[in-house]
Amino acid sequence: MWSVFNLQWLRLKREPILVLSFIAMTILFVLFIGGTQGEQTITVQTFSDQLTESELDEWVDDLNNTSGFEFHVSDRETIENQLKLSQISYALELNYLDYHYLVGQDSFFINAVNQHVEQVYRTKLRISEIAEQFPDRSIELKDYITIELESLANSVSSSDEGGAHIVSGMTLYFVLYTILFGMMNIAVEKRTGTWDRLIISPLKKSNIYVGQLLHYFSLGVLQIGICFIVFDQFLNYNFGDQYLSIIVTVMAFVFAAVALGMLLIGIVRSPQQLQSIIPIVSTAFAMLGGAFWPVDLVTNKFLQLLAKITPVYYGTEALKDAMLYNAGVGDLLQPISILLLMGVLFMGIGLNLMERTK
Amino acid sequence: MLQVNDLHKKFKTTTAVNGVNLYLDQGESVGLLGPNGAGKSTTISMISTLLQPTSGDIRFKGGDVFKKPDVIRPVLGVVPQEIALYEELTAYENMHFFGKTYGLSGEKLKNKIDEVLELVGLTDRKKERVKNYSGGMKRRINIAVSLMHEPELLIMDEPTVGIDPQSRSHILEMVRELNRKKGMSILYTSHYMEEVERLCDRVYIMDHGQIIASGTKEELKSILSSEDTILIEVHQKSEQFIDQLNEHSLVQQIAEVDTGYKVIVSKGADVFADIFEIANASQVKVKGVHVQTPTLEDVFLHLTGRKLRD
Ligand SMILES: Nc1ncnc2c1ncn2[C@@H]1O[C@H](COP(=O)(O)OP(=O)(O)O)[C@@H](O)[C@H]1O
Ligand SMILES: [Mg+2]
Repeated sequence: MWSVFNLQWLRLKREPILVLSFIAMTILFVLFIGGTQGEQTITVQTFSDQLTESELDEWVDDLNNTSGFEFHVSDRETIENQLKLSQISYALELNYLDYHYLVGQDSFFINAVNQHVEQVYRTKLRISEIAEQFPDRSIELKDYITIELESLANSVSSSDEGGAHIVSGMTLYFVLYTILFGMMNIAVEKRTGTWDRLIISPLKKSNIYVGQLLHYFSLGVLQIGICFIVFDQFLNYNFGDQYLSIIVTVMAFVFAAVALGMLLIGIVRSPQQLQSIIPIVSTAFAMLGGAFWPVDLVTNKFLQLLAKITPVYYGTEALKDAMLYNAGVGDLLQPISILLLMGVLFMGIGLNLMERTK
Repeated sequence: MLQVNDLHKKFKTTTAVNGVNLYLDQGESVGLLGPNGAGKSTTISMISTLLQPTSGDIRFKGGDVFKKPDVIRPVLGVVPQEIALYEELTAYENMHFFGKTYGLSGEKLKNKIDEVLELVGLTDRKKERVKNYSGGMKRRINIAVSLMHEPELLIMDEPTVGIDPQSRSHILEMVRELNRKKGMSILYTSHYMEEVERLCDRVYIMDHGQIIASGTKEELKSILSSEDTILIEVHQKSEQFIDQLNEHSLVQQIAEVDTGYKVIVSKGADVFADIFEIANASQVKVKGVHVQTPTLEDVFLHLTGRKLRD
């Protein structure tokens, strides 16, 4: 078993390009879509028609008290111009009792800004009435005559949520690729005859399978590990501190992915067929399962239902819960056991198909 | 050592093996000769426990190979028809890995690799990746890998297909040595009759899933004892010439060869004059006419009316 396992690593060492490029793609995609997190400051242009200059300065000082945000004082005319020219995406208008955003373009950061502003408002004014005026969705969008305004109410998740989503979705998507493309080797081995060489050797068939599958399992876990470490250490994404939940979820997901690989190998007739269905399956699973955008955004009931049959859905949701909401392993029992169940099911069917076509 | 009784294998649309009987004694070198599609590889897959027969049984040292594969597996070496190697790895690494699957390790494994590399003549190329090898070198490593555990029975499935003459004669010489010097039993499959004639004590001739003749080379050739093989060399081939020869009452079989035609006629028949006459009539210039001692190829031609390599 270990000789089969070690051999696969040796082969990977000789031809690592595919795996390395999937790791690189994960990081690139996350960088491209999500940018870096934490360290950067969000700049917000601020103005007021009601407040005096000194009142406004005082407000802005308070708003600037927290790191991560930089509020600049400006005036309505300048800001409208900047919005028109798309130099900025949004701006904050402060009044005595409430505040508004002028929004030129959809922005990922506006919710984070709003959370901050809201907090400062509440503490500063300490008026319960005002707290009531700010229910959860307190972004008021103002139709601005010359500026195209878009409703953001539903389409922006908070920046943390967005970040965690991209990180887990992209990582799982590309690890699915690595595992499935890697497992094509098994189909190729069956074709070229090295598999038969192993079968007629004194090695037990179960040892051959376990050695192979263990390789792809550890490869998958390793890839996710590398990506997460890069995101955590270099790109400042927040992974919370429920490491055990994350590890268990990752392992359950990778197990399901390897099992899916077995199922696909069992279904196809040739490595070529496998090569052409892998991108379709991975992308479809990732899209349905919400690796690219959260499933909550999908309104179609049928698609929502389909999401629930993909391992990607449970993997992403469980990871997000662990990273953002401190979910422990106990809280994630449901998605994790569904992943394991899928794994067992895929593996069982896959093995049967594979042994039957022999 | 090996007995195969009434072996059948049906695939969905074809019957690849249709009632094969054969045996092989310890230390023998036996040939399985037949054209492409005869069912040789399928037979071998069943003997090596890879493929379950539709019916029939295979016994190795008296035991059913499917009930107890552990008896045959450790002492069986199979050289597959296709190159079954990890091409991104070196020859050494391939041999190392497959040696390990047979329980070899440490010094013993290293020594064995060196010994087998020497045998196949690739010692100085062992650190190269298999994918950079020539066809002949790949074939040799394909064999080397199967020899790591010193099998008692070595089954070779067309081990010389598509390679240079040098590699080919190296392989043939090697197989002979293994058989003569090491006493390895060999089942050698081929559609080249010269190879089988050179290497094997006994031969099975297979066609359409069946053994159509078997015996020692001499026994097989005596099938042709009532026939002569005549080689007619011509400057230019002609359909008309064949047609007319075919109509001749003493001519039994005709096959085209590179330089002309091979004709099997009844023994002692005086057809020379007729051949020249027919050649004249169809305006074929004859270079020469020779009576040949029969080869296994001729036996196959006689039995099936076809040449081995079509
Ligand atoms: N797995 C298979 N499924 C269906 N038909 C097969 C299979 N393997 C071999 N055959 C058919 O069985 C016949 C014998 O094939 P094979 O044993 O490879 O012949 P040989 O090795 O003598 O060239 C051929 O007609 C081939 O097409
Ligand atoms: Mg064959």
